[in-house]
Amino acid sequence: MTLVETNPAVGEEDRPVNLWRDAWHRLKRNKLAIFGLGIVVLLAFVAIFGPYLTPHDFLSQDLQARNQAPSLAHLFGTDDLGRDVFSRVVYGTRTAFLVAIVVTAIALLIGTTLGAVAGFFGDPYDRVIMWLTDMTMSVPNLLLVVVINASLKTPIARWMETQYMATLNPFYRETIWIDFFLVFGSMAMISWPPYARLVRAQVLSIRSRPYITAAMALGLSNRIIMMRYVVPNALGPLIVSVSAGLGTAMVLESAFSFLGVGVNPPTPSWGNMISDGLRVWQHHPHLLAAPAAVLGLASVAFSFLGDGLNDALNPRGTK
Amino acid sequence: MNVEPLLKVENLVKHFHVRLGAFGERTATVHALDDVSLDIQQGETLSLVGESGCGKSTTGFTILNLHRASGGRVIYKGQDLTLLDDKRMRPFRRDLQIVFQDPYSTLNPRMTVGEAIGEPMLFHKLAAKTELDDKIATLLQDVGLPSRFASRYPHELSGGQRQRVVIARALACQPKFIVCDEAISALDVSIQAQIINLLLDLQEKYGLTYLFIAHDLAVVRHISTRVGVMYLGRLAELAPRDALFETPLHPYTKALLSAVPEADPLRERNRKRQILEGDVPSPLDPPSGCRFHTRCPIAADVCTKIVPEWKAARPGHLVACHAVNPSSA
Amino acid sequence: MTAQDTKERLLDVKGLTVEIDGRRGPAVVVDGIDLHVTKGETLGVVGESGCGKSLTMLSLMRLLPNKIKVTSGSADFDGQDLQKMSARALRKVRGGEIGFVFQDPMTSLNPVMRVGDQICEPLLYHRGMSRQDARKRAVELLRLVGIPGPEERLNAYPHELSGGMRQRVMIAIGLACDPKLLIADEPTTALDVTIQAQIVDLVKQLRSKLGMSVVWITHDLALIAGLADRVVVLYAGTVVEDAPVDALFANPSHPYTRGLLASIPTLSDAPAARLSSIGGTPPEPGRRPPGCPFAPRCPLAMDICRRDVPKLEPISSEGSHRAACFAVQKALKAA
Repeated sequence: MTLVETNPAVGEEDRPVNLWRDAWHRLKRNKLAIFGLGIVVLLAFVAIFGPYLTPHDFLSQDLQARNQAPSLAHLFGTDDLGRDVFSRVVYGTRTAFLVAIVVTAIALLIGTTLGAVAGFFGDPYDRVIMWLTDMTMSVPNLLLVVVINASLKTPIARWMETQYMATLNPFYRETIWIDFFLVFGSMAMISWPPYARLVRAQVLSIRSRPYITAAMALGLSNRIIMMRYVVPNALGPLIVSVSAGLGTAMVLESAFSFLGVGVNPPTPSWGNMISDGLRVWQHHPHLLAAPAAVLGLASVAFSFLGDGLNDALNPRGTK
Repeated sequence: MNVEPLLKVENLVKHFHVRLGAFGERTATVHALDDVSLDIQQGETLSLVGESGCGKSTTGFTILNLHRASGGRVIYKGQDLTLLDDKRMRPFRRDLQIVFQDPYSTLNPRMTVGEAIGEPMLFHKLAAKTELDDKIATLLQDVGLPSRFASRYPHELSGGQRQRVVIARALACQPKFIVCDEAISALDVSIQAQIINLLLDLQEKYGLTYLFIAHDLAVVRHISTRVGVMYLGRLAELAPRDALFETPLHPYTKALLSAVPEADPLRERNRKRQILEGDVPSPLDPPSGCRFHTRCPIAADVCTKIVPEWKAARPGHLVACHAVNPSSA
Repeated sequence: MTAQDTKERLLDVKGLTVEIDGRRGPAVVVDGIDLHVTKGETLGVVGESGCGKSLTMLSLMRLLPNKIKVTSGSADFDGQDLQKMSARALRKVRGGEIGFVFQDPMTSLNPVMRVGDQICEPLLYHRGMSRQDARKRAVELLRLVGIPGPEERLNAYPHELSGGMRQRVMIAIGLACDPKLLIADEPTTALDVTIQAQIVDLVKQLRSKLGMSVVWITHDLALIAGLADRVVVLYAGTVVEDAPVDALFANPSHPYTRGLLASIPTLSDAPAARLSSIGGTPPEPGRRPPGCPFAPRCPLAMDICRRDVPKLEPISSEGSHRAACFAVQKALKAA
């Protein structure tokens, strides 16, 4: 008897059959995620088109108009050197995005490669890589960054100086790159272990899922199993983690700037703006409030988006 | 049985090596499968029964080369499958399919029903892209599902419907042989009967051969041509269905049959049940001699020392027990 | 039902309704169930997954997970309403007067606690026994449930025992305080058939030795045939049939019971070409059709079945065999 079973839980209409399109449909229904996405898109827009949006140059000082409260001319007021805070926040967005994207990309590259190798090839790679991961994670983040900065900054600066003397190549005179290089490098150094662990765990668990065995039993090739069965199932958590990681990287960069081991003034960064603002917050709260609010907003937006993606990428989630 | 069997299993052995101890400092060997020999005839349903850990599922997996055999041979179309690597095994996979116990976890949660069924057809070039939808619809119809289910995700289906999809996916390869590994165990009673009937219908329609792995003896009695009983990695008895259920020879088979409850209170009340003492020993350290001797009600001295020979007690009725000899049976 | 009939009831559940607070509003999963257990009786509760059999028993003990609530009904146990009892008094009943045995002995035992300590726990708590006495009693209990070398086993951790042994330990815990009622929720489903036979045999022996009542929840009709005195068949959160075990198997009345019995192959019957099967699938909890929940799958369904919910009514002369089916009740009136 082949009676058709009717499952009342299932709607009768035919729907799109593509994972990504389905995920988008589900994401659209999640208000918080859309809010997060909106903020992220807005911030990205600001970061990209920053120079065309700012009414003032972020460096131009107007000593006549120091520490002004927010006004039409200066939306977020001015700081102790009379620089337009709005413009600096906008440029800070560029820094934040640059740091977040570059750091996450480097960390992702290191993390996924090591994690996939560890998960797929097992011991001895697994053992060595996991040892390395644990080692990195066991060193306090700030300590590592401070050590890297303190120990490498002077030697690199000196080396660049001698290079400049020898070659007169203007590239070596631009010391701002040392900052970026060290900040990006040291942040990536502390950010990759979670990605490595995640990818390893994903590969390990998916490799042992019955549907992988089932796919092998169908005689499918390893490449197809990898692309159609392992990757789509592993990607969800990774995308979520990256989305959250971008937010974390922004906060991290601000924290480092705040502590003086991040991007150095005069390059605007939310962190060093907060750091500066904190000293005078009783008298000029807007100097602290503006960058802090934007940082908070960005961080919250990324985490909402991450959560939303997590739900959206799981077909079992809300219908 | 003078007809050439579809598949010949000779002295199949599968040992797993495991690490023990907190640091994995000790290794041990799980004797999952030892010296299993059986022929599978074209068009029959050969069932393997036994308790958990008896190696019945391992037999299915090892035959299909999903587990690499530690010894022995599996002959299909003149080829020893145990010697093939993944790539050379691939063309044989089309013929030799498997339906797993748990339809919940053997479907990729991110692939629709249609994609799941279409995948093997495209890969093995059994359908062109243009005719794929039609073929998927036909297969769904074969397993009693409407074609609109092609766009559904596995989680939107009930357990029975999912198992139908898994069966359709196996059929997509146009196989000759299907291992049904506890294919109905995870389903509700009223759904089990539907799936059993479906399997029987499909066998008739496509001339399929089944290796049916199950622990439900009543179901096995219903659908099998021949039945093999396994205990702790070895075959204890293998016989045509009626012979096995009506005149079992091995004491383990007898105990197993006696333990099965029957849906008849009167008979249950008057039934003399033979209850086996103790548990199945660990396959890490299987008993010497006959592996059943620790629980066997008629174990003799010889049983603890010598592995009983796998012999025919009657034509087609094979058994491994010292207490059974061909003349008395 | 007579007054005397009510008197010897140990557990009497009336109109028990359980709802899940879902996204789409509350969904009824147990719909006004009536059932009772008399003293010394073994009641078999049979149903497929999602029929509400486990939720019914958990709700008696008010052990329901979050978002699942009892919305109406009463459950009298030995003269007290379990639903109205204070949480404190209820704790005395749980594990004291009512023992529980769960399906999965691996996950229901605390993996980091020695078996002996787990058996002693209810004795210390409910009986106020001294540690020494409790350990002595634990040894007795392990011997009672047939575990060899009980003194040594006391110090074992659950993972060191086999599945059958763990289930015996679960039963020992359930029996620790001499309960009047033992509720066993699919206690043998995770076990092999020869081990199942051991456990069934054990529970039968213990029941006659200790004189307690047993509620055995299962999906396996064949198993219940040799075990229960009376059987309640559940479908989609309602009782569809309630009968003494002999009557149920000799004369199944509700079309669902009949379909279920017909669809299980048996060892003794000559194999038929095809099994008879019930078409369709049970409704999901909270998505039950109006009227009789079985109507969409029922071969006897009439118009009234799709409109009204049938009540459980006696269909035998002495009233012990009851079924909730319009077709059966109509046929009875016609006869």
